[in-house]
Amino acid sequence: MFQSLRRVSGRLVFVLPIALGGGLVSPVFAGQGADDESRFLSRIRRLTVEGRRAGEGYFSPDGKEMVFQSEREPGNPFFQIYLLSMETGDVRRVSPGHGKTTCAFISGKNGDILFASTHLDPRSLELQREEIEFRESGQERRYEWDYDSHMDVFVERRSDGELVRLTDAQGYDAEGSWSPDGQWIVFTSMRGMFEDELSERESRLAEIDPSYFGEIWTMRADGSEQRRLTHVPGYDGGPFYFPDGSRIIWRRFSEDGLVADVWSMNPDGSDQRQLTDFRAMSWAPYVHPSLEYVLFASNKLGFSNFEVYMVDVAGEKEPVRITTTDGFDGLPVPTPDGEGLAWTSTRHGGEGGQIYLADWDHGAALAALRSAPSRNQHTETPQ
Amino acid sequence: MNRRHQTLTGVSLSLALFLTLPAAGQTPEELRDDVLALTGPGTDGRAVGTPGAATARRYLISELEAAGARLLPGQDGLGIPFRFISGVEDRGSSLRAGGHKRFGSDQVKAFAFSETGEVRGELYFVGYGIRVPENAGVTYDSYAGHDVRDKVVVVLRYFPDDVQDETRSVLNRHADFRSKASAARDQGAAGMVMITGPGSEGAGELAPDGFDISAPGSQGILAVSIDGAAGDRLFAGTGVSLAEVQRSLDSGEVDAGSFPLPGFATLAVDLERTPTSGANVVGILPAADGSLDPPYVAVGAHYDHLGMGGGGSLNPHAPPAVHPGADDNASGTAAVLALARTVADSPLARPVLVGFWSGEESGLLGSRAFLRDAIRPDQLAAYINLDMVGRLEENRLTVQAMGSSSVWPGIVERANVPGGFDLALSDDPYLPTDSSAFNSESVPTLNLFTGTHPDYHRPSDTADKLNYEGLARIARFTGLVARRVAESDPVPEFVEVERAPETATSRVSMRAYTGTIPEYATEIEGLLLGGVMAGGPAETAGLQKGDVIVEFAGTPVLNIYDYMNALEAARIGEPLTVVFLRNGERHEVTLVPTARP
Repeated sequence: MFQSLRRVSGRLVFVLPIALGGGLVSPVFAGQGADDESRFLSRIRRLTVEGRRAGEGYFSPDGKEMVFQSEREPGNPFFQIYLLSMETGDVRRVSPGHGKTTCAFISGKNGDILFASTHLDPRSLELQREEIEFRESGQERRYEWDYDSHMDVFVERRSDGELVRLTDAQGYDAEGSWSPDGQWIVFTSMRGMFEDELSERESRLAEIDPSYFGEIWTMRADGSEQRRLTHVPGYDGGPFYFPDGSRIIWRRFSEDGLVADVWSMNPDGSDQRQLTDFRAMSWAPYVHPSLEYVLFASNKLGFSNFEVYMVDVAGEKEPVRITTTDGFDGLPVPTPDGEGLAWTSTRHGGEGGQIYLADWDHGAALAALRSAPSRNQHTETPQ
Repeated sequence: MNRRHQTLTGVSLSLALFLTLPAAGQTPEELRDDVLALTGPGTDGRAVGTPGAATARRYLISELEAAGARLLPGQDGLGIPFRFISGVEDRGSSLRAGGHKRFGSDQVKAFAFSETGEVRGELYFVGYGIRVPENAGVTYDSYAGHDVRDKVVVVLRYFPDDVQDETRSVLNRHADFRSKASAARDQGAAGMVMITGPGSEGAGELAPDGFDISAPGSQGILAVSIDGAAGDRLFAGTGVSLAEVQRSLDSGEVDAGSFPLPGFATLAVDLERTPTSGANVVGILPAADGSLDPPYVAVGAHYDHLGMGGGGSLNPHAPPAVHPGADDNASGTAAVLALARTVADSPLARPVLVGFWSGEESGLLGSRAFLRDAIRPDQLAAYINLDMVGRLEENRLTVQAMGSSSVWPGIVERANVPGGFDLALSDDPYLPTDSSAFNSESVPTLNLFTGTHPDYHRPSDTADKLNYEGLARIARFTGLVARRVAESDPVPEFVEVERAPETATSRVSMRAYTGTIPEYATEIEGLLLGGVMAGGPAETAGLQKGDVIVEFAGTPVLNIYDYMNALEAARIGEPLTVVFLRNGERHEVTLVPTARP
């Protein structure tokens, strides 16, 4: 999900020597899988324009709506959640307007819109002002995403427009999405940072990197039966149900936060399987409606060069690169009919990402996956 | 009642189908018919003030009448004429100096911006006649320490050749005919006489008259060029030759080159400016409630082109040929016509003003006249301009002037959801098209554009090369933008965009040619090439469409302005290094500029 990108770019500054900067943009693996993106994507169009940045666009099951996050209102330098009509282009804000929000998702059952927000934090307006002043000062921030512990999951009920709070644990609860039947929600929680007994090392980590405590949780649509599914040190996040509800896809960072890979598991947390091993940051996975493959983003080609990839749903083959345009390309989300792909990109050359949409050639994708080499045969050097 | 929703609820088709269904009046076939009519027999390139433009205009008027367009209040027809100066005739200029014979029109040619009349004064040579303003970073003043009040100054054409690149580009910017005439005028000189020096290209030739149809007025001083033989006579008896003086000036010695010439001169100029008439076509389509009252949502395109070629053609030395201007701008004209028909069928919340401008190619003559004489700018809610929209490639539509109102990002986003373009956006409203005339009058503007191409301003800009499917979609997108402007209440606020520093040098004075086709609207750092001219230096060097130039002749290039500046330092025949990005990788090539073909 988008905040992970922020974290990743923070880590780039924090962890890596400067020398790795621009040089890695050049495609190290240019010869392999670097066919032009036009073999999968056509009629590329830009969906969002207004504001500094936008991302995390997810469709309603009928494809007529997309919910996304965008920083576009004067006075609030953080994301708010917006609902876009794919038919008319009309846009309305869903979230309260103040505080930080992230990661919305539309229910397939009743259109209810799930998102995470800090608007109940009494300091949220103050934090907005501080952020604006900080930006005006011209300083650069190392971490742009802070995993605000006031972040909780809310739902806008479409029947009456009420905003309902689903989580109230101390610690970051966010990155939620619905099961296809609208009965369950899978989400990321860092509440362990406050609720678990921490080792001395973990206590130190809690101060500099809350994401270490990110784990995958599920709950019922009304917020009941909250249950933890993962128990591995390091950031587990960005979970989504498969389109048939049979499994959950998510990304797991290594304990040191340097490497992330795509995993899948049963909705009860059993049978956890790793689908990628690029030894890079592979994240933001989303399963295509055909259930045949998973779209995700990876910086396999260099830390500053994220591209969209896909891998067969069992993770048996080597992933196939999709996007080939300069700039960030990530957060891929197929349209519900499987014939389109939305993703977030900086290909327009601006600073912030915006959401793009293209026609998707499913047949070409299947053919490319069929001819991809098996995963255990790959030989490339780790980044 | 919101007609948009009414229309859409009836269409519960899949998204893809929804996007490909053009509204009535906007089918690719209809757009092609319009483009063919505008480029067809009798239109002859539609140059302003010609019978060809009148043929095109009659078509536009009859189509607007058929769509039910009303007259703009105060007008007596859909065609709205305006006057302009189409040319200047030198009816006999002369120079008499000292005891020499009188030089007549075979050796003396008035500049088109000269005053008419006769002056007498001592002759005074002032080198290249260049004064660089103090803040330009370069000190160069041909007049420093010389009093030329009431004298007739003699200047060299061009600027010193052998100076450093940075100095060179600054000098070049102040070396055009008018700048030199202004400098002489500001120093109190009575007249200016220009010579193409023995050391310059075209030595001894008379200079072109410098006629600018968009600014045909006088520069406030008598100004002529004379031929080399006449020039030599002026230096007779000084003990120095003009060739020697030019050599020392070219080596950078400013002071060496200003001194009085012997004798007293009588300079006479007799110019006649030729008035001509052109016409815009403007109609009003009533709002949904029948209202014809402003503010109007204005949508327009220029319908004129270059006629048989002439100064604006990139084929200037070829024999005259019809320049059909299918993309530039029969495409935009057809799209606005399509929009007018659609709006007539399903009107918007405000009345729509459609305008077809003439004289754009000559310097926005029609749109400027319209804003001056026919409308108050506060009667316009916003103006959407279409100029060269017929070459949609890879779904990429450029939308410019986004900075001219805070409403544009939101409106363009919403219109493009059904519109479905890969948008290239830019804020800059100072564009070489009619929208900038509206921007000058504080009207929010947008300009749509599908990019430059090798057929630009050439006889090969023909109707068979347009993407009519794309054109129909652009017409539809324009309608969606217009609809949202019509529903904006209050009307969009105007934002004055800060103007980038003035650096542009006119094509005419730019002597070195590289054959690059810059992509103007882009947020990319560097200069994105929209293409290269076939056989030009850029193509020879191996540059191609899509390359991003980041350094040119040692100067970093962040944008088009940097590039234009860097170009000024280029010299014909002298290799220079171009650094560019291709697929994210840095490359370097050597490019050898040639003379402009």
